[in-house]
Amino acid sequence: MLAYLIRRLVQTVLVLLAVTLIVFLMMSFTGDPVFMLVPIDSQPEVVAAARARLGLDQPLPVQYLRFLGNLLSGDFGVSYVFRQPALSLILERLPATLEIVFVAIVVALLVAIPLGVHAGARPQAASSRTVMTGSLLGISLPGFWVGMMLILVFAVQLRWLPSSGRGDTVDVFGVPISIATRDGLAHVILPAVTLSLSTTAILLRMTRAGMQEVMRQDFMRFARAKGVSRQGVIWRHGLRNALSPVVTIFGLQVGDLIAFATITETIFSWPGIGKLLIDSIARADRPVIVVYLMLVATMFVLINFVVDMLYPILDPRIRAT
Amino acid sequence: MTRMLPLWRAGMLALGVSALAVGAACAKELTIGMTSDASVVDPQAGEELNSTILFYHIYDPLVRRTADLKFVPGLAESWEIVDPTTWRFKLRPGVKFHNGEDFKASDVVFTFNRLKDTNMAELGANVASVMAVDDHTVEIKTPSPFATLPNKLAEILILSEKNAGAGPDAETASPLGTGPYKLEDWAKEDHITLEAFPEYWGGKPKIDTVTLRPITNPATRTAALLTGELDLVIDLPVRDVDRVKGENGFSVVEVPSLNNMVLALDFRDKSPTIPLETNPLKDQRVRAAMAQAIDIETIRKVIMNGFSTPSDQFVPEGSVGYLPDADFHKMYPYDPEKAKALLAEAGVGDGFEITLDATNNRYVNDAQIAQAMASMLGKVGIKVNLNLMPKSNFWGYIRNPSEKSSFIMSGWNVPSADAGAMYQTLYYSRDNDKGYGQVNRGSYSNPELDKLVDAANATADVAERDRILKDATALLLKDIPMIPLHYEQDIYGVRDGVTFEPRRDKYVWAFEMDVAE
Repeated sequence: MLAYLIRRLVQTVLVLLAVTLIVFLMMSFTGDPVFMLVPIDSQPEVVAAARARLGLDQPLPVQYLRFLGNLLSGDFGVSYVFRQPALSLILERLPATLEIVFVAIVVALLVAIPLGVHAGARPQAASSRTVMTGSLLGISLPGFWVGMMLILVFAVQLRWLPSSGRGDTVDVFGVPISIATRDGLAHVILPAVTLSLSTTAILLRMTRAGMQEVMRQDFMRFARAKGVSRQGVIWRHGLRNALSPVVTIFGLQVGDLIAFATITETIFSWPGIGKLLIDSIARADRPVIVVYLMLVATMFVLINFVVDMLYPILDPRIRAT
Repeated sequence: MTRMLPLWRAGMLALGVSALAVGAACAKELTIGMTSDASVVDPQAGEELNSTILFYHIYDPLVRRTADLKFVPGLAESWEIVDPTTWRFKLRPGVKFHNGEDFKASDVVFTFNRLKDTNMAELGANVASVMAVDDHTVEIKTPSPFATLPNKLAEILILSEKNAGAGPDAETASPLGTGPYKLEDWAKEDHITLEAFPEYWGGKPKIDTVTLRPITNPATRTAALLTGELDLVIDLPVRDVDRVKGENGFSVVEVPSLNNMVLALDFRDKSPTIPLETNPLKDQRVRAAMAQAIDIETIRKVIMNGFSTPSDQFVPEGSVGYLPDADFHKMYPYDPEKAKALLAEAGVGDGFEITLDATNNRYVNDAQIAQAMASMLGKVGIKVNLNLMPKSNFWGYIRNPSEKSSFIMSGWNVPSADAGAMYQTLYYSRDNDKGYGQVNRGSYSNPELDKLVDAANATADVAERDRILKDATALLLKDIPMIPLHYEQDIYGVRDGVTFEPRRDKYVWAFEMDVAE
């Protein structure tokens, strides 16, 4: 177990190192940040001075090594545009992203698991067919379109919910939270639902497939024969055995949600890291882009790590080796 | 009974909230939908529209630019020319910074000195030195006579010496100006709240609280206007114009922007993207032919949906050096037959190949305009290859001197309303010790124009400068160093009850606005 852990940790570091290199090379193609900062009619000396101020006058390998060195000492660089540490810019916006991702996960689980179990246990029922059709839509409709439609219907036509922004927030341990206020909660609903859509559909289909397979197993009939109620069999014996592929997918989905939040945040003007990323790409603000990608890569790696650790707990037959 | 308690509490809460709302009803509020968040609050840290809009709420310049490009007293009450390179500005007495401290000449001196080491140093290029004569008089020296100094000063915002002098990032941490609004709250990417500064020298602002909300997605911006979350949106997308007009309680306001779309042409002997021994663009007839091959009216109608104003000259009407009754598109009207004849006359009747560099995310419909022009020029035998790229790559790609470009489409605006500023930057011969021609990407060189610009820069009299620059405008219209296309239209969506006059410079300014009770 310990060897396994160490091996995974070394892999993690290598993956992150590769990410920094790829990202840094990509950066050289995204444009010249100096020209996004100085007025276009600046004298060459002003341009050169700005370049030196940003450390961009050095050759790329030197810049990369300097960046890595800074990284090791905990310095993630300063945003060219905001003149603030890139890490603090991202950390400042991270709670907003985590918040909609969290709500999206809750929505997805609350909708997907019960419906998936139902559709798997009674595949022939009309309600199950409706659910499956719905899930197909959830997978195939593009998120930005759904987001715009939700805004049109619930904000513009019905006036039930606000169209954009974060609304009132309450500081919990210094971190602003929207879901703690009524206004904030109203602002969370549309983006979170939009974000959760494809995850809900995928989890639902995974749950259903797992349930269908489990329903055919002998132990299910045996349990029923033993006198366990139908609901008891489905939820206690069936679901638990159908769950392990769902957990794997769920883990990957959490990573996807953080990454896909980019689109949802842009549509709903949700002030999270995804929107920051899009804006930073447009402004060629390299340090912010690098820190964002590093952070997302770290999260993916960590989530996968946690998922791998969860298997043996869910299914004792699997051993971490 | 216990289950009723939360409901009861919620009821009390609702009562409390509505009581608050009643209390706030007499305070006027305005929420503006911006295209993006401001990136900095320190006016010397960067330049970009959304930050600039924020700057002008918090800070004041010495000279103020009005909505229709007039230049009137700001923090300076009056000014006079002492000798051709020395100006004396009388500062407005009784002006206070937001922290209650008096605004003094030393703040002006400090502001100009601090500017020198920033990315925005170019703004102060026309100022050699600033000296405080007494607490309310400053003397500004220019390196050479500069008749439109006051226009240029409208772009320099005055900081407090005590505040910004505290450290390189002090202004960012706690911005302090003399402007009509104070920065109250800035939740990054969500909202900026500005509170009226009651002791503002221009009078207490009519609107008490202004909220700037960045909404990058244009469709969401429109939706937020229609739901009543916003009172005003900047850059209403063209496709939503009819929708907003058709809705009760909203209207659409438009004004030609200052942004003149221009086509830069290469004047070097050999041009990088033209596979010919000599560069055909050096012949004025070829440049005229290209201008006559472009149907600007069709671009306006079909691509811009009517939201553009064909540019008559290089600078808008009202600018110093604007030539009344001269119109580029009347001098070179759309006429493909004439264009072909001109090309034949110039010895390139078989046409030639050229690459057009343009952005695809910077200007309104930039990529479509480029495509349309490629097909229009194709009809007279000029094969245009398109090289479209996002703006973050574009500026570095076409940077001066541009070794890769022959033909560039970009926008240019002159907020100082002075043709001289544009001509010396874009058309003055390069490689001179004056440092002019910084953005002369096509290496245009015309000794006559250089002479006129020098003459304009030798006088401190604005009327004379205007006269000289009018000659320069006439010369340039004939010589075609660039082809002016059109001014984009700025489009705003406004809720009824909001008093709003659009500004030519697009600097939406709540101090000039009002909302109905």
